[in-house]
Amino acid sequence: MEKNLYGPKSGEGTWLWLAKIISGALVAVILFIHLVVNHLVAPNGLLSYAEIVKYYQNPIIPVMEILFVTLAVPHALIGLRGIILDLKPTRAILNGINWLFSVVGVIAIIYGVWLILTIASRGA
Amino acid sequence: MSQITTQSPLTRAAKWFDPRFRTVNMLGFILNRITALGLTLYLFLHLSVLSQLAVGPGGYDKFISIIHNPLFTFGEVLVVTAGMMHGLNGARIVLNSLGVAIRIQKMLLIVLLSIAVVISFVFAVRMFLV
Repeated sequence: MEKNLYGPKSGEGTWLWLAKIISGALVAVILFIHLVVNHLVAPNGLLSYAEIVKYYQNPIIPVMEILFVTLAVPHALIGLRGIILDLKPTRAILNGINWLFSVVGVIAIIYGVWLILTIASRGA
Repeated sequence: MSQITTQSPLTRAAKWFDPRFRTVNMLGFILNRITALGLTLYLFLHLSVLSQLAVGPGGYDKFISIIHNPLFTFGEVLVVTAGMMHGLNGARIVLNSLGVAIRIQKMLLIVLLSIAVVISFVFAVRMFLV
């Protein structure tokens, strides 16, 4: 019987696994919109500073992008942690990883939200 | 089994990269892992370079002019490809984890990865021929 490679594994817990798949689904949707705007719709395949500030004046955009960063960062870090779990780390190393990823994740999200709000305020 | 445990960790880790004797499903799993690592690296790079936006139009537009370079564009196409593959394969994984479409999972894997390649091609054409 082939082992289920995708389900919750020891050390992950059902909640973290659920958070990973739910955030993944939402990230996929938002990422598609993000890519279409930034690479397909954008005149040269990339937006300039002025175009970005203008784009962020529509209030739905900062909301979407804040949601994006708040979902993408935990998804990436929980996924990375899942890969590390396959290397069977000791309890001490896993605790260290949990702490490190939590700190990195919180900092990344705060930074992302700050940047989004800063850019959105530039056009006001 | 004893052969595996007497090998050094380095030998065992090297076997991770042996593409032979893998099932299609295993290749799908490995592809998801590799795209995940690439995308995570890209995510944190992306967040750091976007700090140029906070500097203002001088900093950011200069950065944009630097990355209007075919090498960077190719890198971006790779990111889009990785994102599409990881996302579509991930959707299949979620469905399978919830017990949906398990019987057709192999076909779904191949179909979704092919769709990812086609979408990436569309993006590549758009990004290079502008």
